[in-house]
Amino acid sequence: MRYGGDNRGRLLLIVLIVTSLFLITLDLRGVKVIDGVRSGTQTALTPVQKAGSWAVSPFRNFFSDVTHLGRTRNQIEKLKADNDALRLALLNRKVADAELKQLRSVLNLAGKGGYKVVAAKVISQGASTSFSQTITIDAGTRSGIHTNMTVISGFGLVGVIKIAYPNSAVVQLASDPSFRIGARIAGSQQIGILSGQGTRKGVLQLLDNSEEVKVGDAILARGSVNGRPFVPGVPIGEVTAVDNSASAVTQTADVKFYTNFSTLGVVTVVVSSPSSDPRDSLVPAKPAPAPIPTVTVTATPSPSVSPKG
Amino acid sequence: MISRRFLLSLPIFLIVYLLQEGFVTQMRLPAGGFSLILIFSLAWAAMSTPEIGALTGFGAGLMMDLSETSPGPLGHWTLVMILVAFTISFLSYGDDHVRANPLNIVFLVVAGVVAAQFLFALLGLLLGQELGSISQVLFLCLGTAFWSAVVTPLILPIISRLHALVFGTASRI
Repeated sequence: MRYGGDNRGRLLLIVLIVTSLFLITLDLRGVKVIDGVRSGTQTALTPVQKAGSWAVSPFRNFFSDVTHLGRTRNQIEKLKADNDALRLALLNRKVADAELKQLRSVLNLAGKGGYKVVAAKVISQGASTSFSQTITIDAGTRSGIHTNMTVISGFGLVGVIKIAYPNSAVVQLASDPSFRIGARIAGSQQIGILSGQGTRKGVLQLLDNSEEVKVGDAILARGSVNGRPFVPGVPIGEVTAVDNSASAVTQTADVKFYTNFSTLGVVTVVVSSPSSDPRDSLVPAKPAPAPIPTVTVTATPSPSVSPKG
Repeated sequence: MISRRFLLSLPIFLIVYLLQEGFVTQMRLPAGGFSLILIFSLAWAAMSTPEIGALTGFGAGLMMDLSETSPGPLGHWTLVMILVAFTISFLSYGDDHVRANPLNIVFLVVAGVVAAQFLFALLGLLLGQELGSISQVLFLCLGTAFWSAVVTPLILPIISRLHALVFGTASRI
């Protein structure tokens, strides 16, 4: 028999809905109690997330490998060849090596730019069921991290600190649909606004049409007042497509972020901006074209053997 | 009786919440992955009366709102979960055709997950949240539906046994 409902059930449903609407209103009005509840929950969850990160890392690496299988035959053959050489290194603390590599590259970038940074491990990734793109790192206000600080990886911009707790912080990734950053093109210094699209590609909207954007142009952070939320000069990505049709008011371009957000292990938070703008010094070097080996074959006639007589 | 059921249910949901926040979110599954607390609470609601379903949705939604990565205000997931959990328990309660076949419950849970995401997105738009392109939203919804369809049959026997432990054996699958 199907449930027909009764007054008590309806009353309960109405009370629950009204309670949730009440909570939404309180939160939107910025009531401190609500913030305290969330902060307390996160403080309690941080040790569990750290333990989970350690326990789950082998499975995570497996899934990460599975999702990057779309390669060309040549790449697979090259990887197969490399695989034997790397097998020993992979067995020997694969995760620690990868994190060390990421840390080294991010410290290199920070050193070049003159940024004062705090390194942190990524301990959790936000659930995509909420349509937002976030990660949680294992350093917070006790390490000098506060909201609206730039987060970078060895490749470039990762995002910005959205919420800082005592021992952890939530980072809004540059790929988040609500992410916006003032950007400039290296070289031409054209400025525009780059916004996240939920994937590794962002969209750059330029503020004037005086110069044309080209595919391959590097995009850098323009920087904010006092370096918050964004420090200047951080590499963001590379232009992959340009829409400069005559009907468009402004030029727009697709930008591929330098950072691969799905493989983040170690990041750094810029806690102090450099004394001078690093300008274009952090633009990643383009890979040099590999020289094609040429082999010249010279035919040398061998001395003819004369019959002995 | 009610307090006993509540006291038994609370630690179960807390453990599921810790598993979700501590382990499932670490896996970084492709296409959005799945939400254990969402699947668990919807399956729990599908085996319960509509009143218990609404209360389950309220509790689970509140937990999801307390997650630090929840982008909306506190109460956003709560409201969505009350409505979806109540609807699922309303559709399944008292209908032996639905409860007799575990596949029906799996279908209800997967449909509930997709409905919850759409409702969350809709409410998010009303509250000014930015969700990205429609194709990205659809991709995430489909991905989550896929993962939910994979995970739900695996954990349904456990949920059923726990539900039977708390509410008696009537709804055990």
